[in-house]
Amino acid sequence: MQTIKTDVLIIGAGGGGLRAAIAAAEANPSITIAQVSKVYPMRSHTVAAEGGAAGVIQDHDDVQYHFDDTVSGGDWLCDQDVVDYFVRHATEENMRLEHWGCPWSRKPDGRVNVRAFGGMKIERTWFAADKTGFHILHTLFQTSLKFPQITRYNEYFCTNLLVKDGVVQGVLAIDIANGTFVTFLAKSVIIATGGAGRVYRFNTNGGIVTGDGMAMAYRAGVPLRDMEFVQYHPTGLPGTGILMTEGCRGEGGILTNTDGYRYLQDYALGPETPIGEPKNKYMELGPRDRLSQAFWHEEKKGRVINTDRGTAVNLDLRHLGEAKINERLPFIRELAKSYVGVDPVYAPIPVRPTVHYTMGGIQTNIRAETPMTGLYAVGECASSGLHGANRLGSNSLAELGVFGRVAGEQAALHAKQADMPQMEDVQDQVNEQKARWLALRSAKGAENPAHIRKELADVMEAGVGIYRLSSELDSTKEKLASLQERYRNIGLNDGTNVFNTEWLYAIELGFLLDVGEAMVHSASGRTESRGSHQRLDGFETRNDVDFLKHTLAYWQPGSAPKTAYQDVVITTSQPATRAYGDAANKKGS
Amino acid sequence: MNRKPYQQPQAATWWFKNHFYRFYMLREASSVPVFLYAVWLLLGLFRLNQGALEFNAWLALNTSGVGQILHLVVIAAALLHAYTWFQLTPKILVLRFGNFRVPDEWVMGGHYVTWVLVTIGMLWLAITG
Amino acid sequence: MSTVHVPSTIKITVQRYRPELDDKPWQQAFEVPYHFDLSVLESLNYIKDNLDSSLSFRWSCRMAICGSCGFMINGVPKLGCKTFLRDYLEQGHITIAALDNFPIEKDLVADISGFVEKLETVKPYLIRKQEKPLSEGEYLQTPAEVARYKQFSQCINCGLCYAACPQFGRNPEFLGPAALALAYRYNKDSRDQGSSERMPFLNSEQGVWSCTFVGYCSEVCPKHVDPAAAINQGKLDSTLDYGLNLIGMAGGK
Repeated sequence: MQTIKTDVLIIGAGGGGLRAAIAAAEANPSITIAQVSKVYPMRSHTVAAEGGAAGVIQDHDDVQYHFDDTVSGGDWLCDQDVVDYFVRHATEENMRLEHWGCPWSRKPDGRVNVRAFGGMKIERTWFAADKTGFHILHTLFQTSLKFPQITRYNEYFCTNLLVKDGVVQGVLAIDIANGTFVTFLAKSVIIATGGAGRVYRFNTNGGIVTGDGMAMAYRAGVPLRDMEFVQYHPTGLPGTGILMTEGCRGEGGILTNTDGYRYLQDYALGPETPIGEPKNKYMELGPRDRLSQAFWHEEKKGRVINTDRGTAVNLDLRHLGEAKINERLPFIRELAKSYVGVDPVYAPIPVRPTVHYTMGGIQTNIRAETPMTGLYAVGECASSGLHGANRLGSNSLAELGVFGRVAGEQAALHAKQADMPQMEDVQDQVNEQKARWLALRSAKGAENPAHIRKELADVMEAGVGIYRLSSELDSTKEKLASLQERYRNIGLNDGTNVFNTEWLYAIELGFLLDVGEAMVHSASGRTESRGSHQRLDGFETRNDVDFLKHTLAYWQPGSAPKTAYQDVVITTSQPATRAYGDAANKKGS
Repeated sequence: MNRKPYQQPQAATWWFKNHFYRFYMLREASSVPVFLYAVWLLLGLFRLNQGALEFNAWLALNTSGVGQILHLVVIAAALLHAYTWFQLTPKILVLRFGNFRVPDEWVMGGHYVTWVLVTIGMLWLAITG
Repeated sequence: MSTVHVPSTIKITVQRYRPELDDKPWQQAFEVPYHFDLSVLESLNYIKDNLDSSLSFRWSCRMAICGSCGFMINGVPKLGCKTFLRDYLEQGHITIAALDNFPIEKDLVADISGFVEKLETVKPYLIRKQEKPLSEGEYLQTPAEVARYKQFSQCINCGLCYAACPQFGRNPEFLGPAALALAYRYNKDSRDQGSSERMPFLNSEQGVWSCTFVGYCSEVCPKHVDPAAAINQGKLDSTLDYGLNLIGMAGGK
């Protein structure tokens, strides 16, 4: 069996993982870096991000405003030291991407342009038309090619962290093309595997977004934090869930219900702003959680549109005109035409909330360190404390730059003083896990894993959605426990080695089930409403006395997770009323 | 190692697979009659140098039935070749003035206009000269 | 508009190749429930989840941006996620196979490692003689300057253009449409000063001059990158570079 030794190992090759690799190579050019990913780097889901990356750049803007927007946007569940660090470094990371060739959209004078985004007081979202994630990912991948220290292991599927005495030793992985196991021994390991949106039925996420890194860390004893906070993006296409960027609204797009009425004014986001004159933090430029919740209420009131692909409201861009749509939102036009047969130049796009982002993830601190020595996490798989209970759009792409660099530098620093792990220390784990995965590949149980995957997604959608009830959370817990039981009795048909995707999907399903359990148990324990976690069973308000805390979920082999709580870091911003529209002015903020 | 990638062979008839490839082959093939005709014209010059008798024999071949048919073939080939050439030029000849990019149709149109003007000029020379 | 009978199911033929069991590819037919929005990718997922779980293919984003799901669909290279069965009702049949010109790893999975290596060799990153400090802000670039390379920066590396390129089929060493377009993208970027470093391989036998301007790559490109234009504009640069070299004025070698 192949063993590969490396100083720094990075699981994942999306925006966070690539940025970390470059940072590690720059921090210490003499180290070796292994970039291990189950897909080729350009397939990573960063590619699908559309709207932009936040970073204060206008003269009348200030990092303090970005801090305030982020903390209130996160309903005060953000760790404020992390937010502070982030807002102070976001712009330089966006600028670095510019220096590396990212084709940011420009103003006529050649300077980088910015657009408005939900929950942001001032325009500070850098964008590359409506393919920002695509351009950032390709820029980072291509720039990473300059560094010979970085070795890419494309289409290697990581299955386990290898740990000894609470210190990470490396990773066990499957070389997908050969179907063989490879042991990576590493002094530092960075998890950069993205989110877990595929736990849900309707989501904006790619098929690869299955919470692999979260589950690997979780199973190795690292807590998953704030997993109850799952972001529904208010504007996904009905049916597929394909993302219609918030940039649509940043550019002036409006949302209307079946009566053609701009219903957001009924949900403390108004008063109505004139069409074509979007106003920051008003109406369509409110935060995502509030907009998705507004849809839920409209649906209850029967004021949504019934389409062949399900209920929806209208995202109307027609007043922007063809030229502006082609310049700023060409991909949106292409997607709407292809997937719902609508040309937004001539007709409104039907949209509805769909799962988009996991605010929670592997617990990390301001240095991207997890509680496990030598283990780091960055990006959507991590809970850095930046996003709190609701992420503001365009903060996550910027996060990849800021904390990708931090993770890379810290991992390189750790590798400098750590000893190279030895194979004999992990041999038993490797043998045990390898045997377990091979047994899964030839499992002959009665259950079809694809059916379990679908049921999981439906159950999560129904029970841990935009609004939550304790009765539904309890029944979801039971259903997940029974799905876990059925998972132990699955049967697979393809016993071969080469590119056995049936096997990989089965492993991913195990990851999804564990992450789903962490979500529902975390949600169940939080008897308050905050940000994206809203309850309807007597806990409709925020409770700062008991729940100004992060939830920590700990994996328990064969049973439900245990939860604990951790204090939120408050530095300068005491919890206050979270308000948008005119309501924000009334309270004087 | 368990891999055994299957190497897909390229069939000798690959170009027959779709319309696009077939037209490409026709485009490339159309250069052959044009080339042969250039050789033929050179031969005419050679004959002219040899004397009136030889040149007139060469001319007679041109105006014979077969000669006329071959001329039609060459004209068709030359027209096709010119057309495909003009179609492709905008891809290579990208003209920008500030934010304005000269549309492909203009680049193509410019070629056609030039072609017509040159043809008229040559006809004029042939008739008046 | 012709009226086409809307079926309840549709027959899909999929090319299979299991390297440990087969010596060459073969065809397998499936019957899949039809609906108006059914994409080729969704139909493959239906087959995998319900009919034959051993079928392997790559996919992820479902929105034509990750570049994973390129297949030959009735002999034409296309993205599975952006190709809909409704467009094949009149033809009456649909056959899905791995991309042409690439070795087949398994079923619909092409071995694209060689292709990705080509992308990696063309120095696809900004090369500066002198870096500007971050504190001095961005390299200014007007919208007109962005427009010179923007189109060529839209490539999603799906490989459809390689499946469409008979020159690549004939000579797998040819750098090919996407890699050459990528090099050209950086050459045309006003912030870049590295075109002389890219000239040696653009000029090489496997570079732009292996292209005979078939043009099918641009025809099948799902992102309108037009690699054929990039390559053939690259020939102009290559010629110019050759000429300058003759008189000893080129910056490169």
